[in-house]
Amino acid sequence: MSQNMREGSITSDRIKVTTRHGNSFKDKLYLPAIYDGVKVTFKHLFKNLNNINEIDTMRYPEEQPQDISSRYRGLHRLTHRADDSIACVACFMCSTACPAKCIFIEATTREDGKDEKMPASFFIDTLECVFCGYCVEACPCDAIRMDTGIFALTGNKREDFVMNKEQLLSYKGAFGEECSCARD
Amino acid sequence: MSEMIDIIVDSQTYKVENGSLLIDLLIREKIKVPYFCYHESLGADGNCRMCMVEIEGQKRPQIACDTLVKPGMEIRSTGANIEKVRTNILELELINHPVDCPICDQAGECSLQDFYMDYGLHNTKVTIAQKVKHNKHIDLGSNVMLDQERCVLCARCTRFTDQITHTHELGIIGRGDEARVSTMPGRKLDNPYAMNVVDLCPVGALTSKDFRFTQRVWFLKTANSVCHGCAKGCNIYIDHNIMKYKDDVIYRFRPRRNDAVNGFFMCDEGRLSYKELQENRLISPLLNGEEIDEKEAIVKAKNLIEKCKNEITIIIDANLYTEEIEAILAFAKELGARVCSPKEIYMDESFQDDLLRCANRAANAQTIERLGIDTNEPNPSNLIINFNHPQDFKATSLISFLTHNRPCSGLSLPIAAYSENEGTLTNIDGITQKCEKAVYKNKPIPTILEYLQKVRA
Ligand code: SF4
Ligand code: SF4
Ligand code: SF4
Ligand code: SF4
Ligand code: FES
Repeated sequence: MSQNMREGSITSDRIKVTTRHGNSFKDKLYLPAIYDGVKVTFKHLFKNLNNINEIDTMRYPEEQPQDISSRYRGLHRLTHRADDSIACVACFMCSTACPAKCIFIEATTREDGKDEKMPASFFIDTLECVFCGYCVEACPCDAIRMDTGIFALTGNKREDFVMNKEQLLSYKGAFGEECSCARD
Repeated sequence: MSEMIDIIVDSQTYKVENGSLLIDLLIREKIKVPYFCYHESLGADGNCRMCMVEIEGQKRPQIACDTLVKPGMEIRSTGANIEKVRTNILELELINHPVDCPICDQAGECSLQDFYMDYGLHNTKVTIAQKVKHNKHIDLGSNVMLDQERCVLCARCTRFTDQITHTHELGIIGRGDEARVSTMPGRKLDNPYAMNVVDLCPVGALTSKDFRFTQRVWFLKTANSVCHGCAKGCNIYIDHNIMKYKDDVIYRFRPRRNDAVNGFFMCDEGRLSYKELQENRLISPLLNGEEIDEKEAIVKAKNLIEKCKNEITIIIDANLYTEEIEAILAFAKELGARVCSPKEIYMDESFQDDLLRCANRAANAQTIERLGIDTNEPNPSNLIINFNHPQDFKATSLISFLTHNRPCSGLSLPIAAYSENEGTLTNIDGITQKCEKAVYKNKPIPTILEYLQKVRA
């Protein structure tokens, strides 16, 4: 197949032939190249040893990042209304927008006189999620946010990563603004 | 029939019957015009003012739904002028509208949403501190929920109960801001066609209690089919969906327009028959109530047929597709079997009315008649093979091909329901119609045609 394409569909004036490198005796020895590489490594080693507090990497997990901003897309949460009830109205906008199709909602009638509809169940499979934030953008009720500041999830089995409604409601926002701004 | 005349719409000439409604021409020719209150089954009411067009020689825009065409008429359906008029009317409509779209079941198939995207997108000139409040989620009866705030007062629902069912349950009460749809105090919406008002309502004011909150409409896939509730064969849409990691499920039936059969409507019983269709299905072969393997079941069936040759009676359900009935007849001929389809069980005089519902509850009864199949009770015989006939039969041996689980002695084999299969039906008036395959199950149940092949092999 690729042979055919080379001969048939691409004319010779469109092919750029580059000469292959690494044919000289020095290249074939490999040692000069290894020496060059090791030189860079040691240069950094000595530089860092002299200046241990300026190193760019972090000793995670003992040391935690301090620069997570409110725009950081961490784990999702479901927001509350002023009376602490769920803000989500199960409109399915988030699950419609979700490119990973990892939001699973079942809607039911809401009986407490606020709106008419709410989720009976609400699951986000964070293993399928690509943390794009489209769900947050799509929500007309400010009911879903990714402002928990949680960036590391751990679990022993796959099911541990599927967040249910209660879990999502229990997470707190890391940057103030507890309640939904769009539902009262 | 009156004469045909030429009229011009947007610089194009159309042939149209003199004195017919202008809006009918626009709808027929798919010329975009927004409208709430007009409906081809209910006629013009002229109350929503959405359908404005410009007519050459007339000072002001006119409503297309109540304008009769005259020779030499020149209409403009587009242009800055008319679009401004439409935006203004829409703006009035939206002053008190709750814009409930996130919790409104109509979202996605709502005329108000569509028109807003086409002609709205305006900054409103009217700002009020508090929109007028009305009652929301009123249970009108017959599975219909009313939200008075979302209503655009088009009166389609009230005209339906006045003109089509003649039951007059719905009316518009109050004036101005106070105007709202309601039933008489203490009365319910109660007629066998009530749920059609849900389809008629152009907005989310009337929604189906049965479908409510189960799915957003943009997830649904649609297939054309025919209702199997009675021999009328109303044309329907089957709306179904496969949720991720789940199986294909039907969420609702909707009537599909066919002027020769059902017009725009269907009865509520037919509309809700999708539930029965999916509940209590037979999914694995049974021998005297015990589950057995499909291969084993087919061997058993073959042996029984071999043993009882020439003493077999085959019974056919009059709801099967014509193709299936014909294949069963051919099979019966090979075996030298008698064939019948007892008719008594399908007859239900109480179901009949003069709108759509008919007393014969078998969707393909006409084909049974056309093919000359005996409609009397079967004579006693050694082996009865029942193809989904609803009656219970007694015989020395029994093989039943069933869509639904029911207590049955002998061998029972599961077959695909009509939604999982395609074919044709002939209705009571002799009109033959095609049903598409709608539902694709994760584990498909074999069709009758597939079984016949297996049993023959
Ligand atoms: S962040 Fe993106 S992938 Fe994850 S749930 Fe939201 S929309 Fe889906
Ligand atoms: S989280 Fe927001 S977008 Fe998702 S269903 Fe709830 S209200 Fe709708
Ligand atoms: S009727 Fe239409 S515009 Fe009004 S809330 Fe429902 S979907 Fe939205
Ligand atoms: S309830 Fe629906 S159909 Fe009836 S008047 Fe209101 S908008 Fe029209
Ligand atoms: S459709 Fe013409 S006024 Fe309503």
